[in-house]
Amino acid sequence: MAREWLTEAWLRVKALANRKRLERDLEEELQFHLAKRAEKNRASGLGAEDGRVAARRRFGNVALVKEDCREHWTFTWMETVWQDTRYAARTLAKSPGFVAVVVFSLMLGIGANVSVFSVMNTVMLRALPYPQPEQLMAICPTSKEDPKYDDMPPLAEIADWKKANQVFENIAAVGGIWKGPVTGAGEPAQVPMQSVTADFFAVVGVQPAFGRVFRADEGHKLFQSVVISDGLWKKKFNGDPGVLGKTFRIEGVVSTVVGVMPAAFEAIEQWYQGKSVDIWMPPDPERAMYVKRTDRWSLPVGRLKEGVTLAQAQAQMDVIALALEQAYPESNKGIGEKVVPLYDELYKYAGSQLYPLLGAVGFVLLIGCVNVANLVRSRTESRRKEYSVRASLGAGRRRLMQQFLVESGLLTLIGGSLGVLLAFLATHILRAFAQNLPHAEGIRIDGRVLIFAVGLSVLTAVLFGLAPAVRAARPDLNDVLREGDSRTVAGIRGHARHILVILEVAMAMLLLVGAGLMVNSLLHVLLVYPGFDPSNILTMAVNLPEGNAKYTEKVPGKNGITKSTPQAIAFHKQLLETVAAMPGVESAGMITILPPLGAVSASFSIVGQPVPSREDRPYAGFNEVSPNFFHTMRIPLLKGRYLDKRDTESAPWTIVINESMAKRYFPNVDPIGQQLLLRSEPDQVDEERPRQIVGIVADVKHVGIGGMHPLFYESYLQYPQHLYGTLVIRTASDVRVREADLTASVKQVVRELDADQPVTDISTMDEVLRKFRNSYQYYVITLGIFAGMAVLLAMIGVYGVLSYFVNQRTREMGIRLALGAQRGDVLQMVAGLGLRLSLTGAGIGIALALGLNQFIAQHFWIYHVKSTDPLTYAAVSVVLVVVALLACYIPARRATNVDPMTALRHE
Amino acid sequence: MAKKKSETGDLLRDTLDMLILKTLSRGEMHGYDIAEYIHERSDQVLGVEEGALYPALHRLEVRGLLAAEWGASDNNRRAKFYRLTAAGRKQLAEETAHWKRMSSAIARILEPA
Repeated sequence: MAREWLTEAWLRVKALANRKRLERDLEEELQFHLAKRAEKNRASGLGAEDGRVAARRRFGNVALVKEDCREHWTFTWMETVWQDTRYAARTLAKSPGFVAVVVFSLMLGIGANVSVFSVMNTVMLRALPYPQPEQLMAICPTSKEDPKYDDMPPLAEIADWKKANQVFENIAAVGGIWKGPVTGAGEPAQVPMQSVTADFFAVVGVQPAFGRVFRADEGHKLFQSVVISDGLWKKKFNGDPGVLGKTFRIEGVVSTVVGVMPAAFEAIEQWYQGKSVDIWMPPDPERAMYVKRTDRWSLPVGRLKEGVTLAQAQAQMDVIALALEQAYPESNKGIGEKVVPLYDELYKYAGSQLYPLLGAVGFVLLIGCVNVANLVRSRTESRRKEYSVRASLGAGRRRLMQQFLVESGLLTLIGGSLGVLLAFLATHILRAFAQNLPHAEGIRIDGRVLIFAVGLSVLTAVLFGLAPAVRAARPDLNDVLREGDSRTVAGIRGHARHILVILEVAMAMLLLVGAGLMVNSLLHVLLVYPGFDPSNILTMAVNLPEGNAKYTEKVPGKNGITKSTPQAIAFHKQLLETVAAMPGVESAGMITILPPLGAVSASFSIVGQPVPSREDRPYAGFNEVSPNFFHTMRIPLLKGRYLDKRDTESAPWTIVINESMAKRYFPNVDPIGQQLLLRSEPDQVDEERPRQIVGIVADVKHVGIGGMHPLFYESYLQYPQHLYGTLVIRTASDVRVREADLTASVKQVVRELDADQPVTDISTMDEVLRKFRNSYQYYVITLGIFAGMAVLLAMIGVYGVLSYFVNQRTREMGIRLALGAQRGDVLQMVAGLGLRLSLTGAGIGIALALGLNQFIAQHFWIYHVKSTDPLTYAAVSVVLVVVALLACYIPARRATNVDPMTALRHE
Repeated sequence: MAKKKSETGDLLRDTLDMLILKTLSRGEMHGYDIAEYIHERSDQVLGVEEGALYPALHRLEVRGLLAAEWGASDNNRRAKFYRLTAAGRKQLAEETAHWKRMSSAIARILEPA
């Protein structure tokens, strides 16, 4: 069999090499036959001419026989494809307009998809970098009452799970990543670090490059063992092989290096955003947040035993959760445990950003395909005669279809290649867009992206090429070959074309609404006044260590709750006074968390009113501030007074509230003079003394730049709950000029106050705001671009259909004009059709958007704007109508310029 | 690309192939003579167009069942002569045996019990 196949291939190749000879031989052989037959016919009495004709009749179609013979000798299929390709190239070259529109549509559609895929490819479509990653699971608590509940379980609970389950090899707790101060090893610095239980390294299955991991008992209030990253080892210890045993301090805790992780090791972070970690340390078992059942700070990660399925693990965790609910009704009522593949948990954030975009570009491609399908349809209509002629001359169905698919393949090839080129050129824009996603710097067009592009192109070609191919392959010969009838045929079939265009516009509209809502959200973020004057303000973080005995002490009898020491208050006081006195400094203040980056939350009860139940306690955000903060930030006082020097620990405790809080909780009474008893959740312990409201200030955007939240301010100099804080320094002249020398001076002051205290996150207030806004900007811009593409393509679709309409009706319009119709009537006819189609599509699109508004609100970046915001809907409708008018204008103009005489001679 | 033909088409093609092989088992022949021979022997049952013979000949040649050579015909005209190759002979034997089995099986079925 194999040999037979080989000889056959050899014969074919030989024939291929000597095509002319084969052709000559074939001709001669068949002519010989015909001559012999003609001779015989003559012998039996026919005339010479009749004999030849009879011979031919008996022989059949010589050309077809030749073709059949040839087919055995040659690689026919490939050759006909080549032939068809050349034919397609020639015919396409004759209609550059058609080609341009089709290629443009495909380029945008495929380019957009390839772009988004290249981001996903780098960011998400990678296995977790640990051995047997499919065995790694996150165990996420759920709540029966609150579907959005995403608190993490306390360590004590994870210990219970470890005892009770038989499905996990091991379970570790992984804390959040924060920047902590490292001192006692060169320049004080803020280093990204993470608390993990000692099992962490065993669970992920990666051991240190050298040294060892820490043991469970190596976390302590005053000293601990830590594992450091390869990066920190090289940077801070110059790659010193004797690093093991070296010590430094983290928030005053003496930390001994026991191991260095391999360079390629990646940290685990919930809602993975690509942050790196330089120090892994054990949780301090004495610190309340790690011990209490009410505190929830870490992500449990478990490794399944060999052969255990997700469903089995889930079943067991359900049983364990039920038992814990009974054992600890106080903390665990209604709490379940959901086992989720770690991959899903970590890439939730990236997915929430990228899947909506993938959906959007899917729409763009779909619209592009509809466009192309419609154009190809029109083209087929006008080429029906060609196909019919070819079919009646004996072209097979398969051959006709093949020719069609070759044509669409060629178009897709060009469009797809340009699309990939487009994605390639957009690479650095994509990197900017994905800057908040992990590995964004590695985004590029690689082999996998190219394979995706090819697959997508093939799919596209089949999508828009197959239907017309099938139709073209069975043309109604008689119908078409008769002159003139093509007009009515096309007229009947016009409806399908119109429906497609309406769908196209509807899809574009839907996308436009989504993008419009996002742009509206962005405008809220960009244009809104933050509630303070950000110009000429320099900010820098001076976070005093909260674990340090120098600055915090335990409150006796209060279950691990700590308070600041007099030293801490003295530190802040002195620092602020010195900075404010520096030359060129107008004033200086301090705040726990800079607006708009957040606030701390606390519940409270109003003294003199009934104490609310635990579930109904009112909440508000708060920040610790220095008295001068309001003046420095230029936050107006509405009533009462600001905090000031009088507010010390020994004086009555005071707070200032914002306008929102006054309106929300004191709608009918004067808040000034009211007393609040604060409680920090979830400890369920009230502060020892109530705090009196002494002033109301204007609202400041503390938590994002969106809505306002009830919020109050405590003083650093009275009884602060937090030690960390950021300096805000208003300069008299341009802050950018003063930035360098001011920073140096502040660092000098801090060093004199406490040599171990780092100064970090130095930036102007304008810069802080800009960065905050930027993170959304790229996302919105990207989606806006895709929506713009969708609208453009849809309008090309409208334009295409109208042009076809005008072409088809040229004669009709000529007659109308000849019979006295006004040009305005013709204009109305064409533009009216275009507008009807666009408006119907837009209407359907709006209806879809309204129907899907919940979905849009959930999956798109929409804040501070309702997903049914009428203003946005109106604005995007206007945009669409204006663009639609443009798309109608050109064909309508052409229609009015029809010369009646030419039109009547059109046939 | 594989060609898909209807069942009857396949039968017709196989029959034609077998007739050609059988015809050539008598010795070298050119296309016209093969056509004449089959025409006479099959009682004109296979009243197909003569042209259909040639694609079959070429197919068999490419498959290596036939070999072809150009030679002189009567009154010295050049003609392409076909003959069976060893593979062709083997194929004919197999086909004939197969055919005999088939027809005797059919005959048994049709015979009155």
